[in-house]
Amino acid sequence: MAGLTTTKQAHVSHDLGMHTEALRGKTQQRFFDVTQEVGGYGYPDALDVDFNKRAELDCEKLDTKQINSQLRDLMKRGYGTIVLQNPGSKHSIAVGILNRLNLYIEGSCGYFALGLLDGPNVKVKGRVGWACGENMLSGTILIEKNAGSQFGAALRGGDIVCKGSVGARTGIDQKGGNIIVGGDTGSFTGFMMQRGRMVICGNAGKNLGDSMYDGTIYLGGEARSLGVDAVPGEITDLDREWLTRKLKMYGLYPKKGIGHFKKIVAGKQLWNYDNLEPGEKKLVL
Amino acid sequence: MAKKAAKKTKAKAAPVKAKAKPAAKALAKTNGKSAVKRTATGLAALSRAPAESKKYLLGSSKIFTPEVMNDIHIKSELGRYRMRGFSLFKKIPHWDDLTFLPGTLTRFVIEGYREKCDTKTIIGPRAKRPMVLDIPVYVTGMSFGALSYEAKIALARGSTMAGSATCSGEGGMIPDERRYSMKWFYQCIQSRYGFNPHHLRLADACEFFIGQGCKVGLGGHLMGQKVTDQVAEMRSLPAGIDQRSPARHPDWLGPDDLALKIQEIREATNWEIPIQLKLGAARVYDDVRMAVKCDPDSIYIDAMEGGTGAGPHIATEDTGVPGIAAIREARRAIDELGKKGEISLVYAGGIRNGGDVAKALALGADAIAIGHSVLMALNCNKHIDGVTDYPAEIGVDAGFCYHCHTGRCPVGVATQDPVLRQRLDPDKAAERVYNFLHTLTMEAQLLARACGKTNIHSLEPEDLAALTMEASAMCKVPLAGTNYTVGLEGGNYHKY
Repeated sequence: MAGLTTTKQAHVSHDLGMHTEALRGKTQQRFFDVTQEVGGYGYPDALDVDFNKRAELDCEKLDTKQINSQLRDLMKRGYGTIVLQNPGSKHSIAVGILNRLNLYIEGSCGYFALGLLDGPNVKVKGRVGWACGENMLSGTILIEKNAGSQFGAALRGGDIVCKGSVGARTGIDQKGGNIIVGGDTGSFTGFMMQRGRMVICGNAGKNLGDSMYDGTIYLGGEARSLGVDAVPGEITDLDREWLTRKLKMYGLYPKKGIGHFKKIVAGKQLWNYDNLEPGEKKLVL
Repeated sequence: MAKKAAKKTKAKAAPVKAKAKPAAKALAKTNGKSAVKRTATGLAALSRAPAESKKYLLGSSKIFTPEVMNDIHIKSELGRYRMRGFSLFKKIPHWDDLTFLPGTLTRFVIEGYREKCDTKTIIGPRAKRPMVLDIPVYVTGMSFGALSYEAKIALARGSTMAGSATCSGEGGMIPDERRYSMKWFYQCIQSRYGFNPHHLRLADACEFFIGQGCKVGLGGHLMGQKVTDQVAEMRSLPAGIDQRSPARHPDWLGPDDLALKIQEIREATNWEIPIQLKLGAARVYDDVRMAVKCDPDSIYIDAMEGGTGAGPHIATEDTGVPGIAAIREARRAIDELGKKGEISLVYAGGIRNGGDVAKALALGADAIAIGHSVLMALNCNKHIDGVTDYPAEIGVDAGFCYHCHTGRCPVGVATQDPVLRQRLDPDKAAERVYNFLHTLTMEAQLLARACGKTNIHSLEPEDLAALTMEASAMCKVPLAGTNYTVGLEGGNYHKY
C-alpha cells in the first residue's frame, strides 16, 4: 500500500502548541470542571450495598425484564451479594449495573450478558453467549466455561476472564482493562484494539490483533496468522511478572508455564496515512 | 493568396503562443509545490486564458473538466484518496425540484401571521419518556473532536432556547453539552468511543449510529490534527493518530443481533427512553423494513446530501441516495408494516431552509435533523472582518471552504486549536443557532399555513408537485401541471 509511512505528526502538532491541556486519569474526562455549576453530573445511580446481605433469585419463571428489575430492586434494598439460580441462557441478564455487587450466576447466560457494567464482581458457573461484558468500565467477570464471540467487546476497564475457550472477535475495540482467556480464541481477536491487555493461554485464530492501534496481546500458543499492523513485541520480565500475578489471581496455570508466552503489539503503521495534501500541510504543520 | 493566408495565420498564431506561455509557466511553477495554489490560481489562470486562443478551441470536456484533471494530477502524486469535509458537491435531484401547491379555491388557507400552526413534535411516542420537542427540527450528532467545545456548547444552548434537542455524536459526552441541552440524544456508535453507561442514564434518547448518508458504509473519520490530548483521552486513543472508526458495531453484526442489542440498552435504561436507529440511505425500503423488525422507537434516515467533518471525497460524492427518494421509501416501509404513529421517522440531509423542512415533512418525515446548515449559523464559511483571512489560512476564499478535516477552521467551529477556538463566541453563536432554528420553523409554518394546515405535521405529499421528471419518479409526486407521476402504473398518484 502506498503512503503507509509513520509520520511524527503528533510531535509536530505538539510543538506548535496544539496540545495545551495537561490531562491525568485513564478513561474519564474531568477537564471541563464539572463542579463549576451547581448540580454537576455525578453518578446518581450508584447504589450503596452491603456485601454481607445475601439474596437468592430463582430466574426459572422470570423473563429478562423481570430478572433485571428484581435485581435492581434487591440492590436498592441494599443486598450486596446476589445469587441468580437457573438463568436459563436468557439474553441481557444483569446489564447496566453501576454499583458494587457480588453476583453469582449459577448457570449459563445468553447474548449481551453483563453488558455496560461499572463495579460488580461477577462469577458465572456456566457459559455465556455473544458480547459478554461489553463496554465494562470496572469490576471483574469470571466465566467458568466457554464464551461466545465478541467476548469483552469495547471493554474499557476491569478484568474479564474466561477459563474455557472463546469465539471470534474477542476484545474487539478494546479500550482498556484486561481480557484473559484460559483456552483458545477465534479469528480477528483484538480487532482494532486501542488500549489494555489481552492474555490468551491457548491458540488464536486468523488475523490476531488486526488493525490494532495500541495495547498488548500475550499469546501462549500459536496464532494462525497475525492481522494487518500487528507485530511481535519483545516480552520483558515486567510482562512475565504481571502475567504470573494476573493468571494466579484467577486460578489459571498454563501447562507449559508462562516462559513461552509471546507478546504482540501494534506496528503503528496505521496511525497516520499521511493524511494531508501538500497544500494543506503547508498551512497546518 | 494562399501564401498571404498562411502568413496571416502564422502571424496570428505567434502572439497566441507568446501569450499562452506565461500561463503554462505559471502552471508549471505551481505544479508539485502547493495543491491549494494549484486549485485556486491554477484554475483561475485557465479561465483567464486570452480570448483569442479561445477562438480556436473546439470546446472543453464536460467530463474531464479542469477540476477533474486537477484531481487526477493531485491523486497521481499523493497515491491515495483525497479527504475533505463539507457535503455533496455534485448536482442531484433534491428539494429545489419540488414546489408547494398552496390553497387557492380548492383548499382553505390558514391566516399566515396570526392563526396557530402547531409545531410540537414527538419522537418515539411509544416509549415511557418520549422525546417531546417544541419544533420539528433538532441538531444532529456531531462529535466533540470534529467540533470545538465552544461550537458544541453553542449548539446545545441554541437548540435549548428553541425548545429542541441535540445529540452527542461520536466520542462521548461533554458534561456541559448535557447541562445546556434541554433534550439530548446519546449516540451509541460503532467505535464506542467514550461510550459510558453512566452517561446513557442521563440521556433522553439513545441513537444507534449504523450509517451516515454522506459516506454510507464507512466509519467516522477524525484526522490526526484534531486528535488532541483531550480528544484522544476521551476516545482512549493515542494522541495525534488519524482516527478511522470501524464501520461495523463491535457486538452485533446483523439485524437479529441488533434486536437483542436494543433489548440490552432498553434493560440498561429501564425501558424508559426511545431508541433510534440512524441509517445511511441506501436500499432504504428493505433497510427500513429490517430496522422496523428490530423494534426501535424511531428510525433516522440520513440521505446522501448529508455532510461530514472528514471523509474521502469519493465516498462523499458516490454513496447513498437522494433524500427525496429516501423519505418516501422509508415512509412506505414503516406504513406497510403497520407501525405508523408508533415508530417515528426522522430525516436528515441537505436541509437548508424552512421550505426544505416543510417538503421533508410533507413527504413523510416526523422530525428533521440538521447538522451542516446549523454549522453555517455558527459562522462556517463566513468572512469576519479583521478576524479571518480565508485565502491565507485555509487556501480558499470564504464560501468555498471544505477543510474541516484539517482542523484549521478559520471561524473556530471545526477545530481543536485553542487560538482558533477563541474566534467563536458561544453566547452570540447560541443566539444565532436559536435564530436559525426559529426561522426554519417559521418558514415551514408559513408554507404549512398556505397549504391550509393547522399542524405542521399535517403536510402531505398531495401538497407537492415535482418540477422535474427525476424528482417526480423519486418521490412519487405528480409532475407540475400534470396528473402524471413518473414511474407509477398509469401515472396515478393515488394508487401508490
